[in-house]
Amino acid sequence: MSPAPAHRLLRPATLLIYLLLGFFALLTLLPFVWMICAAVKTKEDFFTSQFLPRGPGFLGIAWDHLTLHQFVRLFRDLPVPRALLNSIFLASVGSVLATLFCAMGGYGLSKFKFSGRQALTTAILGTVVLPGALLLVPRFETLYHLGLVDRYLGIFLPALAPAFGLYLFRQAMINSVPADILESARIDGCGEIRIFFQIVLPIVRPMISAYLIISFIALWNDYITPQIMLQSPGRQPLSVVIFSLKGLYADDYSLMLAGTLVSIAPVMLLFFLLQREFISGLTSGAVKG
Amino acid sequence: MKNSRLHSVWTPWLFLAPFLLSFTAFIAWPAVRSLMLAFEQTFGPRTIAFVGLTNFRFMLHDPFFWTAVGNTVLFTVAAVVTQIPAALGLALLLNRADLRGRRLFRVIFFAPSIVGLAFVAIIYSIMLEKRTGFINSSLHSLLPAWDPDFPWLDHYVMPSLILAVLWLSAGFYMVYFLAALQNVPGELLDAANIDGASPWQRFRHVTLPEIRPVLNIILLLVVTGSFQFFELPYLLYNETNGNGPDNKALTIVTYLYQTGFRSGDLGYASAIGWLLTLVLVGLALIQRRLTQKEEL
Amino acid sequence: MLKMFSPGLWIVLLMAAGSSVLIALLPIPTHPGMEMWVFDPNHAKIARFIAADWNQGHASNPVTIHLITGAAIQSRMMSGFYSDTPIADLIEVERGMIGQVFAGPVADVGFVELTGRLDRENLRTGINGPSFSPWTTRGHIFGLPHDVHPAMLLYRADLVEAAGIDVAKIETWDDYFRILRPLMQDLDGDGRVDRFLLNASPTSIYYQEVLLLQAGGRMFDEMNQPTLNEPVNARIIARLATWYAGPGHVASEITLGGASSMRLVREGYVVGLLAPDWFAGSIRTSLPDMAGKFKVMPLPAWEKGGRRTSVLGGTMLGITKAGRTPEAAWAFAKQLYLSPATAQRLYEEARIVSPIKANWPEPFYDVPDPYFCGQAIGRMYLKLAPDVPLRPSSPYYGLAQQLLNQSVSQLCAYADDHRLYNAAALEPEARRLLQEAQRQLQAQMDRNAFLRPAAR
Repeated sequence: MSPAPAHRLLRPATLLIYLLLGFFALLTLLPFVWMICAAVKTKEDFFTSQFLPRGPGFLGIAWDHLTLHQFVRLFRDLPVPRALLNSIFLASVGSVLATLFCAMGGYGLSKFKFSGRQALTTAILGTVVLPGALLLVPRFETLYHLGLVDRYLGIFLPALAPAFGLYLFRQAMINSVPADILESARIDGCGEIRIFFQIVLPIVRPMISAYLIISFIALWNDYITPQIMLQSPGRQPLSVVIFSLKGLYADDYSLMLAGTLVSIAPVMLLFFLLQREFISGLTSGAVKG
Repeated sequence: MKNSRLHSVWTPWLFLAPFLLSFTAFIAWPAVRSLMLAFEQTFGPRTIAFVGLTNFRFMLHDPFFWTAVGNTVLFTVAAVVTQIPAALGLALLLNRADLRGRRLFRVIFFAPSIVGLAFVAIIYSIMLEKRTGFINSSLHSLLPAWDPDFPWLDHYVMPSLILAVLWLSAGFYMVYFLAALQNVPGELLDAANIDGASPWQRFRHVTLPEIRPVLNIILLLVVTGSFQFFELPYLLYNETNGNGPDNKALTIVTYLYQTGFRSGDLGYASAIGWLLTLVLVGLALIQRRLTQKEEL
Repeated sequence: MLKMFSPGLWIVLLMAAGSSVLIALLPIPTHPGMEMWVFDPNHAKIARFIAADWNQGHASNPVTIHLITGAAIQSRMMSGFYSDTPIADLIEVERGMIGQVFAGPVADVGFVELTGRLDRENLRTGINGPSFSPWTTRGHIFGLPHDVHPAMLLYRADLVEAAGIDVAKIETWDDYFRILRPLMQDLDGDGRVDRFLLNASPTSIYYQEVLLLQAGGRMFDEMNQPTLNEPVNARIIARLATWYAGPGHVASEITLGGASSMRLVREGYVVGLLAPDWFAGSIRTSLPDMAGKFKVMPLPAWEKGGRRTSVLGGTMLGITKAGRTPEAAWAFAKQLYLSPATAQRLYEEARIVSPIKANWPEPFYDVPDPYFCGQAIGRMYLKLAPDVPLRPSSPYYGLAQQLLNQSVSQLCAYADDHRLYNAAALEPEARRLLQEAQRQLQAQMDRNAFLRPAAR
């Protein structure tokens, strides 16, 4: 859109738009602000104020009542450090492998001609409509028979073949990898693996970053799969461990919300750093495809 | 084929192998296996009895299942009428080139959708409490007429869930609308403007037809996503295994999860899963048909 | 090649590499000997105390106590029974968790059957009979009972006495609501009641059953057949609806468990709470500054001369089949549950009375408790122990409870819709709702191929 004079709105209208946006932004942020305030309050102060405890300090807030004690407890007395490690491990290794496999699969499916390609593509993409819950049940049975229940592998293996990821990479390959580059590389005697890593992957680089972050966040936030598959507390990620605080520490909201904050913060940080790649990757499938 | 000389027949399969291996073991086989399980009754994965059509026959007369279907449909309708207008509205507000801080607003609105549902459940279970919860006590201090005991989670189950999900996903869909709106040709809008079209007319006759394909996709995403709504009600009402007061929070997938992983009956759970699949496939086909009609 | 490494890829790859190294270097610690899972902090304290004793004499097979939330125990226990994931040698199971364990063939129950041991070692007669009922399925006992959990009424003695009310005059529920009525007040003048007389509501998860059991109603008979449609049940829920529904409802609920609930108890949002022994104990530890403000009294009866108690909650200790040393586990279980030392600690820490009859004459139950205005609540609870109603177990207990609660909720909605707030007028609808609930329960039970007589 060009900022042509005809587009400029009168000042009151612009002001109204800012007011509306500001209001909705405030509504969106309130739960976060409330949670952060709650996490630095003591159990005793929790109900005395909506946000920070009132007192004689600067801005009418009792700054000396604030505490990081909840975070100390989380990391010293509760199995949160190990859960954080598990979350990072499951989300990072899982997303790297899933992205690699989807990129390879998308490449194999889009840039080669072989018999049965059409049928295979239809079969794989058709499974996008299967609800996750349907597969959860027999997957559990399969993992049981493979002896993979309560193993990290039981989380990784099923996460490596998302049909949606394959679809995204197939689209990206079709749209942006020209066939003649591949052919001339082959004529020059380049090996297939080198072609893939040196020529193809750099071209679909935006999709790699985007899909990596999408699947990282999805794996990080997953509660149900680890809840079913990982029974040893030493292997459980933050989503399961923090939610289970609700049982024994139900009367300690500050602790629960501090735990929630610790679990949300890493993905939020990753999102703020990489939001442009993330959002463009998310929308590329729907808007351009 | 020209290519056939340049690469071996096996090359594509080499690239597809890791994906296909995992796909076969954890998507294709489970899909087949769940079809078999739908005719069995189990107590965990070890104890299995063949029961024929019993699961499906029972499902037809199972009030819990139908309550779950009713709640899920209600939630889906509510999700469509709240999330799509909210997402489109935010996108329209943000879609102006001269707006300062557009990126910041976009990040703010999108941020809630990064939060995992387990954490959303913790936050909202505390915020929506009677009397002491953040929402009731704030509303009561702003409008004294507001009942501080307003029973959000105890009675207004659907409104509570819809509120939480609206917060969670309006910004997510907004991003799609925003991307689509940015593809609407400026010249068309300019032309309409010069012709004296009101903002509503410009939206109705220029913008809307242009973003129609994205609107259709989002509609499908919201509907299929809402039909599989599960983690949030399950976790918010985990005291009653996700049923909630008077079964008001019970959704189809919650019921599937309860039967499969709490009662250990993988068979009945699979039968429920297949019925859900048929509904979702049906909805996708209807949507496709409608889209094609529009394009003709 | 480095061209494809965007910042995002770098960050995630670094995390993957770093976390893989750490995961490889930090194996999950395993404990030697036996493990026991406990869901209650008080139980854990006592179990650790007894385990320290045991471990001195059994250095080769020590017991480690793990305090885990109930939901996690349920999930890990069932996963262990279904699919051999690691599981403890001994597990404390709460009443709400046991049904699922019993839903398959008896041979598939993941706990060691104790019936034979209890008979051989002559332990059965010494334990309060009703305490076994939840842990028995199809005639087989799978757990050692932890408690009796008789219910009384915990009330705000400070508020009641300040109003000059004498609770000795209360014999029935009708008396209770009539005599305490003046306490129901709008404290802040906003036109809404801020103080109710009883902590219960149509959405209460446990209280409908407690009140039903008190009146002689029940959800299953001795043969584990559902009995939701018995006339007494309809009579009771019709009366419950008159407490809960309408503009003048006298009961409202604080959902117990959260932090806000304790705040509301302190503020006196409700005057009376249904309180089994463990609940009195937990109030005492959660609200230490409220000493001298609470008292207990036997539950008001449904009819003059009726039962003055009921039962809520309950725990058993089970020995898992997966454990390597079931004999040692049984020996530890007996030391933990049967010893007078445990009974004393259990009472002193948690105000829970022992199911072992031999412990009942112990003098520590007679010590006046300053927290409860000098009442010897241990003795008061024990006096009611023999009257505790039976609770026949069923894998469908959870479902039955859910259906009962649903019927109460629907009856309240019906009362509001028709502005009917009189028990006799509500009874026909109550009967209809419970008949429907019974039908649903029966249908679910009939579907289970593993519970049919042939499969037993």
